[in-house]
Formats: sequence, C-alpha cells, structure tokens
Amino acid sequence: MTSKLVAARRRRVLDAMSEREVDALVLGRQDNVGYSTGMARLWTSGTRPFGAGCVLIAETQRTHLLSSWDAGIPESVPFDDLYPLTWNPEIMASSMAAIGGLSTARRIGVDACSPGFIRAAARFAPTAQIVPCDDLMASVRTVKLAEEIELVRSACRVVWSGVEEVLDRPDAPTPIANALVAMAALGTTITSSEPVVRREGDTTVVDLGVMVDLYEGGVGGRFVDGRREHAPALVDACRDGATHDDLAESSTGPWLVRGLGMGYETPVIDAQRGQGLTLMAGMVLSVTDGDHRDVVAVTSGQPEVLSAPPYPADRPAGSSA
Amino acid sequence: MVPPSLRMGHPERVISVEDHLTCDVGRMRRERLTRLRQHMAAQDVAAVLLLHGPHVAYASGHVGPAVDTTHAVHQRSVAIIGQEGPVHLFADRPSPDLAAEIHPPVFPELDESMAGLAEAIGMATEPSNAGRLAIDEMTGAMLRSGLLDGFDLLDAGRILGPARLVKTEDELACIDRAQRINEVAMEEVRTACLPGVRRSELAGLFISRVRQLGVDDVLIDPIFQPMPRNLSDGPRTSTDHVAFPTGVGDPLFNEEDLVWVDTGIGVEGYASDYGRTWVVGRDPSSAEQDLFRRWSAVMEASLAAIGPGATLAEVGRAAIGASRGAIPWLPHFYLAHGLGVESAEMPMVGTDLGEGFDEQFVLETGMVLVLEPVVWEDGVGGYRAEEVVAITDTGWRPLGGWPGHLGFES
Repeated sequence: MTSKLVAARRRRVLDAMSEREVDALVLGRQDNVGYSTGMARLWTSGTRPFGAGCVLIAETQRTHLLSSWDAGIPESVPFDDLYPLTWNPEIMASSMAAIGGLSTARRIGVDACSPGFIRAAARFAPTAQIVPCDDLMASVRTVKLAEEIELVRSACRVVWSGVEEVLDRPDAPTPIANALVAMAALGTTITSSEPVVRREGDTTVVDLGVMVDLYEGGVGGRFVDGRREHAPALVDACRDGATHDDLAESSTGPWLVRGLGMGYETPVIDAQRGQGLTLMAGMVLSVTDGDHRDVVAVTSGQPEVLSAPPYPADRPAGSSA
Repeated sequence: MVPPSLRMGHPERVISVEDHLTCDVGRMRRERLTRLRQHMAAQDVAAVLLLHGPHVAYASGHVGPAVDTTHAVHQRSVAIIGQEGPVHLFADRPSPDLAAEIHPPVFPELDESMAGLAEAIGMATEPSNAGRLAIDEMTGAMLRSGLLDGFDLLDAGRILGPARLVKTEDELACIDRAQRINEVAMEEVRTACLPGVRRSELAGLFISRVRQLGVDDVLIDPIFQPMPRNLSDGPRTSTDHVAFPTGVGDPLFNEEDLVWVDTGIGVEGYASDYGRTWVVGRDPSSAEQDLFRRWSAVMEASLAAIGPGATLAEVGRAAIGASRGAIPWLPHFYLAHGLGVESAEMPMVGTDLGEGFDEQFVLETGMVLVLEPVVWEDGVGGYRAEEVVAITDTGWRPLGGWPGHLGFES
C-alpha cells in the first residue's frame, strides 16, 4: 500500500467530514482506522469493544492515533500525534482532552459508541454533540480507488494458491491446514472468513478468504477435476444500476452480494436485506451464489472479475491436475 | 546448568494434550448465567444487550468463529438477557445444544434492522421498556434509530466484568485445554525457528498445526518478533521501553536474533496465551542465559506471592523485589493479566490503573493470572515468557502443561 493511497483515502474522509460539518471524527472500528490512517494494528480475531483508535480533526487536518510506539505508523503522522495504549479511562480522557480541536468540537462523529464513551466525551468535550458517522465512512469507502482494486486482486491471487493446494492433494486429511500453509508461504497468515473445504463425491467445494495488506481477497466454488463450475448469472448481474430485484432474479441458490475492500463492507444485499439498494460503478463486491463466490468490480459495463484464476481459463487448477 | 529451583516445579505440571476436553459445557453455561444474573440483580439492571463476541459467548454459550473483525461485526450474534426468562440469542449458526432461545440474526449494523432489534429488546424488557439497560456497543444505526432513548444505559462490562473474574472448574478446564494445544504446537514450531525462516512461515506452521490438533480458532496473528539489543535501536515508544507486540512486517530470522513469540487460540471461547523468548539456530549466550535466570527469579518470587487473599500490589512488589528494584514488566502492559473469554482481562497487576487499584484488589480462588515478566538489559536484549496459573484455596496451580524454556533450560 503506497503512501499516496493512504493520503487519498484520508483526503476523502476529511472532505466528507467537511460536507457533514463534523469537527472531529473518532473511529473505533479497525478497518475505518486503517482506511483513514494507513495503520495496520496487530490482527486479532472477532469484535473489539469500542475505543478511540484514531481521531481526525477538521480544523487542523491532523490525524491522532492510538499507539505506544511509532512502528507501523505512517510517516504522515508525527510521534507527537500518537496517544498511548492505556487501561485507565482517566488517562484516555486526558489524551482526548489534549488533542487540539477535540475539546472545542461542536460535532464529534463516531463509527460506533458505548455508554462509557458518551459519559467521557461529556467531560472532555462538554459542548459537543455525538453524531453517528458509520454511514459517512461507509459512503466514503463504497467507491474504490484504482490502487484499492489492485490490492483486492492481489489478495484474491493469494487465495488461489490455497485453492490450488487443496486441489493438488485431494486425499489429504487436513486440506484446510495445507491451504493455510500454502498461503503463509506467500506471507499471508490472516484468514478473513471461515475456510470451507468439503467433498461431495467427485466434487470439491472450497471457499477461502484472506486479508493481505489490509485488503480482502476471496474465492469459492465447486471443483471437478480441477475445473471450477462456471460462474452463475449473479456474477454478471452485478452492474451499475442493478437493483435488489435484478440480483434476486439472477440468483439460483442462497445468495449474498456484499461490499468487499478492507474486509466485509456495505452494501449487504441478500434475499432478506438491502431491498432499496442499487449497485453503482466503482463498488467492489463479494458475490456468493450457492457454493460459488467471486469478487467483482462494478464498472460502467460488464463487471470485472477480480478473483479470476491467475492462469489461463482452460487450464485446470492444481499443478498435478 | 540451571539450578533445580529455577524450574518452577509444581506437582501438577504435566506436558501433554489429553484426548478430550474434560469439561461439562452445559454446566459451565448454567453457572455463568447464574453469575451474570446475580450481578444484574445487584446493580438493578433490567436487561443486558450484548453485541461483543466474548460477551455473547459468556452469556449465551454461543461461540462465533475467529474471523476478521469486519466479518464478526457484520455477521455478529446478539444476546439479550432479562432478569428472568430465557436467554435470547440472535445468531445464524448457533453453537449446538444451547439452552438459549434461538432467533434469526438481527444485523445491528443496518438501519433496516432496527425495528427487529427493538422487538428483540422488548423480549427481555417488556412490559415496561424502561429501566437500566446494560449494553456493550451502540452501532451507528442504533444511535440514529433512538431505540435506546427510554433506557438508562450503562456499560455491560460493569456486569460482565465482575461475573467473569472468578472461573468455574469447567472454565478452567477450557483454558487448560487451549493452553496445552497451544504449547504442543509452539514447541513444534520452535524447532523450525531457524536462520532464513520468515515470520509468516512459522505462523503458517502454527495455525495449520493447531487445526490438525482440532482447534479452528486462532485469536491473534501469531507473533514472532525479533527484538532489538538496545532500546535506542527503536522503535520509539511513549514509555522509553521496548515496543512489543508491533505486528509489523514479515521479518526474516538470522542466527543473531532473539525472538519474542506470542500466540493464542480458543477452545469453547476460552483463550490461551503462550509467550516465550527463542534464540534462532544457536544456544543462548551467557548474557542471554543470565537474563533468563533473572526472569526465573522474578517469576518464582511472583508465584510465591500468589494465593487467595493476596493483593495485586503484593504480587507486583514481590516481582520488583526479585528484580533489584527495577520494574520487571513492559510499562504499557502489566506483570500479569487475567485470561478467559478474552486474552487479556482482569485482574491485571502493575497497569497504569495505579498502585491504589492494585492495593485494593484481592485475589480469590478461581481467578486466573498469566504472568509475563520481562527482564531487560540494554546491550543484551530481553527475556520475556508467560506462565498461566489458577488461584486455588492453598495458593495456585498451573494451567497448561508448562513446557519449560528449552534452549535456556537444559
């Protein structure tokens, strides 16, 4: 990930803050922190309690980050703009109070919240209104930059190495473990979703997802003799302007179309959800229909499949196939 | 080579992975719910609304998969518990054999889900729909909807925190099981930590090995971090001590390296915590051995101070006393932390909560401590390792098999 990309993403966030008249933005979700700052925190699985992972200030245009050290901190954030990890809510409140522009903010945006944070904010920013800004971050992130699309494509390529490993050794007792080793050989040690490998007669069902350089990749499908069953119509239906009904009509099995970028994102569209939503060019989507999954970029024309196998379409997956 | 007194001998120290988890999961869930409701009653809480995975696991028994946080957020399970009646769990694929009443998932990230979430909360709070509601996270959609406006809100951690402090025998069995599997996998990975190997290769070995041992949930991207010999080598820190764990980059190891490792997995939602210092493809130098001896003295002194009735401050003072007065832990962390449905929970010894906190906190039977002293000698580096104990009526017992410190212990 280049510093140019980080700067472009941060610019988008600051511009959106300006549009929404948000003076300060306090982000707790790790993906939002990563998007706005370029910081990659040590990965841990599952949900995290809400806390101020970073603070962006409209007036100063500065980014303040939760970190006790400068390792992994983008050069654009000086050491003095870090506030340290603490177990003590009083120390955290002091750190917040010391951020120039936060205590005088009229509107503080948050991507999530907790009763404790609201009480603390009433002290360190007594005149501020707390404004939900998860939707601000979601809308900023919806349309991908060109470099983001390439990062997703790269992550998908890593996933294919795991798929190939599974198909190479069809009788291995622990195919998922083998796939994890194959992907780790490319430097990837974080799975984004639950890995699936299942045998159904001659068919091998695989679905793998990973995080690479903060971006997600994923592939799923039913494989016979190393060949993936052809993509369902739902993949091709992911076009600019497609509605919930368009997608529902194209689907053949249980389906899910959801945003994919720095992990699982909005929009979320399936049989029950996302009734009023419309796809737009620039979105990147994980498209699941039955056991098939592809990652596509919505364009002004045909969707671009970012999870295409990294070898000619007529060659079966798996080097031994 | 190492004096016998430094082996931290304990009659229950056994290095093995038993075939099965010796834990009554149903009993564990019932006992946890009883504790949770006792704390709800004591704080006059009408209901708890839980969105945080470990909280949902503790209250309902449902353990979600160890996936990326964005997946966990968008596919989260929700638990709602009133003062009486069933636990209401809203989950897609609930863990088997739950006593909870299962409902379809509610997706609290989405504005379109708020009517369903309001109805769900009503299951536990009607007919009044008011009073104290303990909640661990409010999503943007929840804030916009105003669905919590009628309630007096408090952080669910105020209820869950005290309930989780003292573990039942079944909870301890889960931690012990997770720790043993973690240890067996890491002791194998240690033999692969050789010059020319990358962090990601060791991590790949670890995550595949624990899967072969029957555990799918890796809770933290495995840490293998080569440490500087001098604090001035950086990174720069706010404490002027060493930066760990940074999770940055994919280092390639060479024979000079001193590597701090840290991994954690989950069994029935309970975390393990394995920390060691490894040397790469060589024996430790005599200066590194000296670090280990000093670390062992701190560990022994800390263990000797642990038991029911001891304060956290007494444990911290014992550690400092064995360390020639220097603070033998990372100042941004602690000497010791609890372990349970999260990998760092209360009680914590030596944090920036301050001495007053440590003085008033008294250890009780059933609490868990992960001791992680760090001994640093600028120019040599540091020794860091972790051991897990449960407080017993007479002192403490090890959790996990305590596989020792091969390389440093002969």
